[in-house]
Amino acid sequence: MDAKSDDAARDRALALAARGGDRQAFASLVRRHQARLFNFLLRLLGRREVAMDLTQDTFLKAWSALPDWQPAARFSTWLFQIGRNAAFDVLRRQQRIDFVSYDAGNPADEPGDSAPSPEQQYADRQRLRLLERALAALPAEQREILLLRELEDMSYAELAVTLGINEGTVKSRLARARAAALLHYRDYTGEHRDE
Amino acid sequence: MSDLHPPPIAPHVTDDELSAYLDAELAAPARQQLAAHLSVCPRCADRLSAFADLAADLGRLPSVAPEVDLTGVILGRLPPIVSPSRPTFWAGWRALLPVGIGATASVALGLALGAALFGTGAALPGVAAMQVFDPLPPGSLCLGVDSCYTRHANLTGVIR
Repeated sequence: MDAKSDDAARDRALALAARGGDRQAFASLVRRHQARLFNFLLRLLGRREVAMDLTQDTFLKAWSALPDWQPAARFSTWLFQIGRNAAFDVLRRQQRIDFVSYDAGNPADEPGDSAPSPEQQYADRQRLRLLERALAALPAEQREILLLRELEDMSYAELAVTLGINEGTVKSRLARARAAALLHYRDYTGEHRDE
Repeated sequence: MSDLHPPPIAPHVTDDELSAYLDAELAAPARQQLAAHLSVCPRCADRLSAFADLAADLGRLPSVAPEVDLTGVILGRLPPIVSPSRPTFWAGWRALLPVGIGATASVALGLALGAALFGTGAALPGVAAMQVFDPLPPGSLCLGVDSCYTRHANLTGVIR
């Protein structure tokens, strides 16, 4: 049994206990998932305080919905489904599908084409900042599917359940997201695109 | 030689297929076919490599954790969990018990009051007490026999 399956089995046991009213079991679930959920919501929404509130709200909704949770469903997938639904409610209310990276850098800090850094570590940091900017430039739907795939390592079947779409749509949406992220990333880094 | 007759290259692979190939989400036959194409098509191989680099870089993004442990805050806000158990037959009737008791008490009170007023017959008010409503007050002169005795008798139905 791999680590992912072990985690899922542990989550299932805790969720079953929590469903029976065991608050300490639910506390364990919060401790296990709060950082990943917060990280996902922060990168999806771009605002720390909103991500903080939504992380709490997601767990509160999960607690109330636990009687409806099916043990056959992976708890983390179910939790992220609640979280992304809450995040898109916020986006719809705010009428903002565009996004400002929480860590977007000042353009003056960006390295230009002819500004190679002598420090590889510095260059790596800059590269990741540009990648975050490229991620932030994506439509929310593309950003979320990339985050769930690359950061949460969700399979296409899990993505389909979490996003409420079929696997064919997962395949095409993920490909579009990758293509768009690559386009933005290369624009920011000044790399030539080989079309 | 192969330089004179290079093998024909199939049309380029779509981003959908390359992306699914990268994620190992293609079925075995499609995967083998695509792998064969990649070995002879630099353009598709480069595209796949770009997707792979992007995935690797995204995986290196630092994980941002909340500044505080939210466990205590969340536990403090938890409402009582609603039990999913279905109500039993008797539990349903038990819910109606207060209403039933109230209805029974109301009916019993009504019956008791009714019995107190009319149940024995002896409680009927006396005719004299009702005479205050007659057009001729007690002690007045009768204008005729009918005006006093007959009409009075018809009204009350008691005095004949």
